[in-house]
Amino acid sequence: MLHGKRAGRVAALPVALLLLAGFAVPILLVVAYSLMPPRTFGLDGDPTFANYLAAFREGYWRPLAWSAGGALVTTLVCLLLAWPTAKVLSRRAGPLATTATILIALPIFISESVRLFGLSLFLMPGGGILAGTLDALFGVEIGTILNTRLAALLGYVYIHFPFVLFPLILGLSLVPREQVEAARDLGASGWQVFREIELPLAAPGVTIGALLCFVLSLGANAEMSILGGQAVTVVTRAIEQRFSYAQDWPLGAALTVLVIVVTAAVVLPLLKRIDLDGLIRQ
Amino acid sequence: MADASGGAPPILSIIGLSKRFGDTTAIDDVSLEIPEGEFFTVVGPSGSGKSTLLRILAGLETPDTGRVELRGRDLVGVPANARPTCMVFQSLALFRHMTVGQNVEFSQKMRGVPPAARREQALEKLRLVRLPESYYDRRVTQCSGGEQQRVALARALASDPEILFFDEPLSAIDFRLRKILEVEMKELHRRTGKTFLYITHSLEEAMVMSDRIAIMRDGRLVQVGTPAAIYHRPASRFVAQFMGEVNIFTVDGGRIEELAADGKGLGDGYLVVRPENLRPTGDADVSFDARVENDFMLGSRTQFHLKVGETVVIAELPGTAAQGIAPGSTGRWGFDLGDAVALED
Repeated sequence: MLHGKRAGRVAALPVALLLLAGFAVPILLVVAYSLMPPRTFGLDGDPTFANYLAAFREGYWRPLAWSAGGALVTTLVCLLLAWPTAKVLSRRAGPLATTATILIALPIFISESVRLFGLSLFLMPGGGILAGTLDALFGVEIGTILNTRLAALLGYVYIHFPFVLFPLILGLSLVPREQVEAARDLGASGWQVFREIELPLAAPGVTIGALLCFVLSLGANAEMSILGGQAVTVVTRAIEQRFSYAQDWPLGAALTVLVIVVTAAVVLPLLKRIDLDGLIRQ
Repeated sequence: MADASGGAPPILSIIGLSKRFGDTTAIDDVSLEIPEGEFFTVVGPSGSGKSTLLRILAGLETPDTGRVELRGRDLVGVPANARPTCMVFQSLALFRHMTVGQNVEFSQKMRGVPPAARREQALEKLRLVRLPESYYDRRVTQCSGGEQQRVALARALASDPEILFFDEPLSAIDFRLRKILEVEMKELHRRTGKTFLYITHSLEEAMVMSDRIAIMRDGRLVQVGTPAAIYHRPASRFVAQFMGEVNIFTVDGGRIEELAADGKGLGDGYLVVRPENLRPTGDADVSFDARVENDFMLGSRTQFHLKVGETVVIAELPGTAAQGIAPGSTGRWGFDLGDAVALED
C-alpha cells in the first residue's frame, strides 16, 4: 500500500496523463499552428504573427464580436429567466417541484441538434407546429422568426437555460431563510432584500451559472446554423470554415487561440472570486 | 388577561389571535396586553406555539383570526418591513457577508440615511451593547458567540423599534455566558426603556429577566403573572412542573395518596410542595416516614431524595440544617399546608 503524498501522486497520474494528451497537447498544437506561415500544413515553417494580423485585417473580429455579444445576451436572458424559477424551486419541496426539476433537466440528455431541429419544426412557417396549429384552430396566420438572430437567441437560451438554473438553485439554497426574514424585519423592501442579501449570498451560484452559460454559448454554432439560418457568422463557424473549405489551418488556429484568450479573460478573474471548495463542501 | 402591572397604557394588544397549520392549532385564541416599557416573557415547551406567536407579531406569519394592535393601530396586514418592531432571531440571523458595522447600520441604510450619520449611530449602539468601536470594521464571522449576540442586539436597537421581540436568542449559548447575557439583557432593557417581548423554553431564564411572564401550552396562555406570582401560585400542575423540581401529591377524597397523613379536607386534586418546604420533622401539618436514598450537594443547599413507600420525594435543606442527615437514615419528614399549593388540575 502507498501512503501520504506518494499515494496522492499515483492516484492523480491517470487523469494527469489524460489531461496532458487530450487537453494540453492539442492546445499547444493549435498555438504552434497559429504561428506558422499562412496556408501551410506543417509545423516546420518560420514562426510569424501574420495570422493574427490577418485575423484583424480581414474582419474576423466581427464573428468574434457576434459570438461574444450573443453569449453575453444569452447569459443575461438566462439569468433573468432562471432567477425566479430557482427561487421557487430552492424553497419548495414536493412532487410539483420534483416534476418541474425533472422536466427542465431531462432535455439535457437528448442531443442538442435533435432539440434544435425540433424547435425549428415548431417555428416553421405555413405547416410548422406553431403556425399550423394557430391556423387550423383559430384561423390565425402568423409569419416566422426562423432564420433570424432572434430565433438563434431563442435556441441559445433554450439550450443553455438548465446550465444557469441548477447553479442558481444551488446558490439560492445557500441563502438562509432567516437572513431574508431578518432583512425584511429590518425594513428592507423586496428589491433591497434581493440586492443586499440574496444576490451577494447566492453569488457563487450566479457566477458559476453565468460562466457555464457564457463559455458554452461562445463555443456554440448549431443554434445559429439550424435556427438562425446563418443570419450572422459566429466565430466557431468561421474557424470551421478556415480549417475545412479554406484549407487555412494557421488562420483557423489563430482564431481559436483568440477565442481561448477571450474565454480566459472572462473566466479566470471571476473564478478567482468564488470559493469553489467551500461551495462543494456545503 | 388581567393587567397586572401598573397603570401604563398597553403598547401591544393581542386580541383573540388564532393560527392553524393544517390540522394543528399553533395559536388558540390568545389575548394579551403588554404595557409600555415592560419586559414580558412567554414561556413554553417546544411546539407550544410561542415562536408562531412572535412571528405573527413580527409580520412573518399571518393569523387566521384576531387582531394585533400597536398603540391602537391594527398591524395585521402590515408587511414585516413596514412594522415599527424588530426581532432578534434564535439563530441571530446576522448577515455573514457584511461587517459588524454594516449589520448594525442595515435598517438605517434601508431607510436611506447617509453613511456618516449611519456610522455615528452604529458606533453609539455598539457602545450601548458594550462592544469596542474597533469592532465596527470586523466581519461578523470573526466575532465570538457572545459578541455576535451583542451585534444582533445592536442591530435590532439601531432600527429604533417601538417594541423588540426576542426568539430564544440565548438558547444556544453555554450556561456561564448565558447567565452574564441574561443580566446584560435586563440592564439593556432598563437603560433603553423599550418594551421587550421575549420567548424562551426556560422558566428560570424568564424569572431572572422579566417583569411579567406568560406560560404557554398547546397554543394557549395558561397563566400570566409576575415571576413571584407564577412561582408561588402556579395555576396548574403543568406550570408547577415547568419550574423544575417540585413534588406533586395526588389528593384523593381528603387523603394524600402514598402518604400516611391526611390532606385536611382539600377534596380531589393535587398538592404542590417545593423541595425547600420539606423538613426532617414529625411536627408539621403533614408528615410521613421516609428513608434518605441519596444526597446531592448544591452549594448553599443540599438536596435529598427520600423514598416514601414506592415514591421518591425531593427535599432541599440549607447547609446547617442538612448536617447529620446521611443516605440510609430513616425518620419523619413533613411540610406545612401553608407552604403547599393546592391545585385542581
